[in-house]
Amino acid sequence: MDDVKLSAEDKALLDQFLAEHRLFLGPDPEIMRNHTLTERSQMEQAAIAKNPDPHQIHHIRGLINAALSEGFQMVNQMGAAPGAKWGDLVTGVYTAQGDLAMIAPHGIIAFAACCFYPIRFIIKYWVDDPTVGVRDGDGFIHNDARYGGIHNTDQSMMLPLFYKGELVCWVSSTVHEGENGACEPGGLPAAAESKYDEGIKMSPFKVVENFQLKRDLVTFLQNSVRDPKLQLEDMKVKLHAAMRLRERMISIIEQFGKDAFVATLRMHLEDTETEMRRRIKELPDGTTRVLQFMDSSLRENVLQKISLAIHKKGDRLIMDFRGTAPQFMNRSVNTNIASFKAALCTGLLQNVWPDLPHTMAVLSPIEVITDRNTIIDAEGEMPQAMSLMPLFKACVCWTIPMNKLNYSVPHRYSAIIASQYDQAATFIYGGITQHGDATGNFCGDINGNGQGARSHADGEHSISPVFGFMCDSGEHEINEEDTPIIRLGAQRLAKDRIGFGKYRGGMGYEQIATARGSGMWGFMTGCEGSKFPSAQGLFGGYSCPSYQLMKIKGINIFEELDKNPKVVEEFDIVRLMNERPIPGGKYSSNDMGMTFELCNDGEIYMICQGSGGGYGDVLERDPELVMKDLREDLMSHDNAWDIYRVVYDRENLIVDVEATEKARAEERKARIQRGKPFEAFCKDWVTPEPPTDVPYLGSWDDNTETWASIPGMMRVKTPSDQIQGVFMPNPKDVRIAQLEAELEACRGGKG
Amino acid sequence: MTQQMKRVSVDIGGTFTDCFVAWGDQQVQAKALTTHHNLAQGFNEALTEACRELGVEVGGLLSQVDSVRYATTLGTNALIERKGPRIGVLVTSGFKHTIPLSRARGYGEGLPEEEQMDIPNAKRPDPIVPIPMIREVRERIDYLGQVFWRLDEDDVRLRIRELVDAGAEALVVSFTNSVVNPVHELRVREIFLEEYPGHLLGAIPLLLGHQVAGRKGEYARSQSTIMDAYLHATMYHGLGTLELNLRGQGYDKPMLVNHNSGGMAQLNSTDALQTVHSGPVSGIAASEHLMLAAGLGNVVATDMGGTSFDIGIVDQGGVKHYDFNPVIDRWLVSIPMVHLQTLGAGGGSICSYDRLFRTVKVGPQSAGSDPGPACYDRGGMKPTVTDADLILGYLDPKNYANGHIPLNPRRARQAFEELCDDLDMELADVAKLVKQTVDANMANGIATELRTKGYEPRDFTVLAYGGNGPLHACGIAEVLGIDRILAPPFSAVFSAVGAGSTNQMHIHEVSTWTVLFDPAQKRFFDDYASFNAHVESLEQRGREDLTRQGFAAEDIRYRLELDMRYGNQRVQTAVVTDLNRVHSQRDVLRLIDQFHTRYGERYGAGSQSPETGIRINTIRVCSYVEQRRMAFGGIQDDGRAGQSVQPVGSRQCHFVGHDQPVDTPLYDESALAEGTRIEGPALVTTRATTYLVEPGWRYYAAAQGAVWFTRGGH
Repeated sequence: MDDVKLSAEDKALLDQFLAEHRLFLGPDPEIMRNHTLTERSQMEQAAIAKNPDPHQIHHIRGLINAALSEGFQMVNQMGAAPGAKWGDLVTGVYTAQGDLAMIAPHGIIAFAACCFYPIRFIIKYWVDDPTVGVRDGDGFIHNDARYGGIHNTDQSMMLPLFYKGELVCWVSSTVHEGENGACEPGGLPAAAESKYDEGIKMSPFKVVENFQLKRDLVTFLQNSVRDPKLQLEDMKVKLHAAMRLRERMISIIEQFGKDAFVATLRMHLEDTETEMRRRIKELPDGTTRVLQFMDSSLRENVLQKISLAIHKKGDRLIMDFRGTAPQFMNRSVNTNIASFKAALCTGLLQNVWPDLPHTMAVLSPIEVITDRNTIIDAEGEMPQAMSLMPLFKACVCWTIPMNKLNYSVPHRYSAIIASQYDQAATFIYGGITQHGDATGNFCGDINGNGQGARSHADGEHSISPVFGFMCDSGEHEINEEDTPIIRLGAQRLAKDRIGFGKYRGGMGYEQIATARGSGMWGFMTGCEGSKFPSAQGLFGGYSCPSYQLMKIKGINIFEELDKNPKVVEEFDIVRLMNERPIPGGKYSSNDMGMTFELCNDGEIYMICQGSGGGYGDVLERDPELVMKDLREDLMSHDNAWDIYRVVYDRENLIVDVEATEKARAEERKARIQRGKPFEAFCKDWVTPEPPTDVPYLGSWDDNTETWASIPGMMRVKTPSDQIQGVFMPNPKDVRIAQLEAELEACRGGKG
Repeated sequence: MTQQMKRVSVDIGGTFTDCFVAWGDQQVQAKALTTHHNLAQGFNEALTEACRELGVEVGGLLSQVDSVRYATTLGTNALIERKGPRIGVLVTSGFKHTIPLSRARGYGEGLPEEEQMDIPNAKRPDPIVPIPMIREVRERIDYLGQVFWRLDEDDVRLRIRELVDAGAEALVVSFTNSVVNPVHELRVREIFLEEYPGHLLGAIPLLLGHQVAGRKGEYARSQSTIMDAYLHATMYHGLGTLELNLRGQGYDKPMLVNHNSGGMAQLNSTDALQTVHSGPVSGIAASEHLMLAAGLGNVVATDMGGTSFDIGIVDQGGVKHYDFNPVIDRWLVSIPMVHLQTLGAGGGSICSYDRLFRTVKVGPQSAGSDPGPACYDRGGMKPTVTDADLILGYLDPKNYANGHIPLNPRRARQAFEELCDDLDMELADVAKLVKQTVDANMANGIATELRTKGYEPRDFTVLAYGGNGPLHACGIAEVLGIDRILAPPFSAVFSAVGAGSTNQMHIHEVSTWTVLFDPAQKRFFDDYASFNAHVESLEQRGREDLTRQGFAAEDIRYRLELDMRYGNQRVQTAVVTDLNRVHSQRDVLRLIDQFHTRYGERYGAGSQSPETGIRINTIRVCSYVEQRRMAFGGIQDDGRAGQSVQPVGSRQCHFVGHDQPVDTPLYDESALAEGTRIEGPALVTTRATTYLVEPGWRYYAAAQGAVWFTRGGH
């Protein structure tokens, strides 16, 4: 076939045949790999050619914002999913070409930043398809992240807006819905080994005609999930919010004209992009780096490297992620590049320049380089139901390298901050409620990540998720009405589990949960950071500690409390695990990647929200701040000495200033004694290859080569541009093999 | 009968004490500076001024009025100044840090949006209760009220002792799910009284969460109770001083205090938390009364002062808009408060260059009243909305705030120089842009407010009061497409007028798990007895409140409101129902229908989801006694030929949409004479405020100093 020479005419005919006979309109790389703004369309060019007044544009922007805010409030109030109730939602408006122009002021940036991919898909494939088409009154639904999205638990409703027969823009509404019919309840199936375990996978399709939901399709979707009530209710909510947005946009167009409206959306994007280039230019030229590690596939412990070098020169900023771990072919912690970029956009706006407009244009001037088929650029059939793992890393990856660049610029747009705790540290649940309803979802505690310390202050305790602001961790009294979960430990700051520093990270809190009154109930946790700390410190600050999942199984705490109310002194994880006060309980400590398991009435599960990273040298911490932490019982006396070297009276917490200075001076000397020249350190520390006894994925020293090293299973080095992916054995098979080997050994090899 | 009303109503604000006196067929207003060290002084001064105008002695007046009523922002100030006792809190074991963590989002409550977005700079407000003053107690109750961890009384005694030893001057007990079963909270009070009897010297108050807020949500309820305890002493002493002052001057009836629920009660039947924001809420009450008395239709009440812009909604159909979890200062609380949206826009809002969009940005930072706008010449260097208004010619430099604040135009111009350079525009054009921007910001705020509640701005009359309200009203209405604005009678003391127009009212509510329709079982609610028992109990509590204050049971009216939702929604749509008991399936269907209608009005027809289930989350009973209200007559424009008033001069003014300055006639107080009609553009400067009649608008002075701005066919 290679020898066949095709004429241009023949080639055109073949291309036409292929275009007309596509087997499957899967995710389109041309769409999914492009995060930049499209070129101005003719309509936009014509509108801007009329030289619109920037002040009028600003006025129209205000009106659009008000409308987006109205839509957001509608979804927030009407929505049934916990995500809608606690702020994990957004409303957005897009140009006719699908560029995300503006989002609701309080909306989740990444949701909207992903949504333009499916809109571009609809424009490319459905507009001219005679069996689909895009008409006034249509609405499209979507949830499959492979076509754009954070993960498949989020569902979007997108409406085209026609004015006098012409497509002028798109509006959307997105909610983290939770349950989606996956192999585990709650929409975040860590156990998914292929995309076919992820539940419903909606490529963008038309579910609304004449502004009405098509009942046959709604029924199909309800039939595909565990919570048909939620599916119906929130589809209505999203549709009506989007319809309200559409109505408002039309009213703006009627008042100011189509050109002014179109120019506003476009100029908003272009002005933002210009400002981004201006800010990039303000940064010093150079390269800063950070290495992040994911430590679990949620099925087994394995270190996965995310390598980032930020190169800045002039008004160019390049994010180079080459050297990152290969994708898993049968684990859910991959993400595709489009989702990853959306999370980058979020992180930039949340951690670096929060005053910029929340639009994809902030990322448009940034170049992103990745190796394909890595955990941040997974392709094809790879599962990505727990893409939150790399995506949360993407949200915080900016903090270390960008704050190094930002530190000395003449004008700071926000504070210098260490990394926020970046795990989805919340219970995911599913089963039958005490009211007999099937459900699956997650708790609002996901919104309580501890903040990184700042150059001027301690981090705030559990303040927000890494992906949004003003999100809500909720009220347990209300949650307990809807689900059989009972919180024995609701919000108790995790004593001593701190990212220490001159300023310490904001702390996370313990979550101790059980269930009662359900015939069938269970929990899972999709979390990493049990082996390797999640949040990094800045300029000498400590990372946060690692956090584990603890269980007390085989008991019914309600019966125990009824028998003896003093059986437990307090629901404190450390005390429960150290003292083991509940008789007959099976106590265990586990990593925080727990696939769904049933919880009998009164069994106890315990996890933690985590601390942000610390800032600066611990020996520079104001001793009075140390005393404050002691007074608040956030830290033990041991740490006041071991970490901070503060001398004080334990009874009244009065600092001995002189003795403290002396102790700190001695510690500084001791540090020098312990230190060694950099070259000597490298000689001792640096190895040419990753260790053989640590499960490790990613580059080692050279970013052009990627290692896949799983003890006892594989040890492969591949050129980074030829990665295929890693296939892991079933942990149960591994366990069986281990047990069989042990059995074999017990039998003395006598079979 | 109303003509013979004799009543004093007062709004004690942070700066001024406003007084309004109805004395038979006379109504007078007066103002004095608020005297924070002793509120009675400011009150006496204002009242003396009013009496002077009426020609009566203070003592004589006080002995004859039917009531003296107070609305006050005293609580707000106490919070800002952090004046309150050291509080100790007992919470359920496992919930120790629920209060300081404030649902994660507590860092941003009460802040402008751009500060909420700036997470790296986030800072939670200094806590009212520091962490060391919070103790856990071993106990637990589930959502249905079943005890599954019995109260450990030894633990209670120990924790109380620790808090008292740590210097607690007030105690709060806020246990999880106490609103469905308060048994543990009540037992703690008994233990507390056993350990610390009330007759002991230094006895301290103890507040129970379920008695302060009846709604589920452990954080918001705890915070409400803490704030109630925190404000209690300040409010009690402040208002107690006022009551004593009244007694000393011949007033022998109970003093009445306005509540943020829109009602009022005697001092001894008032929780401190209920008084916070009662001043602005009284403005909404006055708006409602005016709407009813003058037949205004739907009204959006706007109060534009120096630093903020308050928006309230009054529905002619009687729909009540409450915030069940309002933010007070920086704290989310749980009380039914009349809904009030506050924007950071006022005369003091600072203008700056928006580099990104090459335009002007107004607010949210404010120069406040100190140093204030640049033209105040008190050290303020940044350009503000008031400076722009002065440059545009709207303000009389020598006659601003009744001549109390001389304005320096040169300072205003200087303050704008940099902004003019940045924008490359002439001074007047920049000032116009500022006015246009701030008006648009406020209009957008109003539009969002109305539309999220299912209204269209064009169906509303704007009520504009507050110092800067009548100056910006036309510009705001222009953006909203509204053609009717009313600057109400006595607009300078409008909240005080509202304080005189409220009913004595108490609101009681209870969280409930009432499923009206269960789609899984296809069952409709049939436990009428339990529902009716809840309603009866709430009515009984309201009845006790009011009979204790001397009202006859037969004069008490009840309004039943139900917070309902579909499926597992968060929204709880308040439905005012004409049913007060449920006796049949038909009644149940009627409730469902009323909810359906209200929900559809708010979120759009077809947005309802009855098939996912229908629930009542909260049952609320408003118990009230209707009382005589202020008379508002002759407010509507009856179309009579206008009275002619001559301008006292003219000034070159700049208007949005006009390239050249316009010679604008100036009018003085005489233009407030009933029947006066003026075509815009015009400026009417009175002692209380400045009325800006923009080109295309008409001015009409109605009775009692009310002023209409209309355009088009209105």
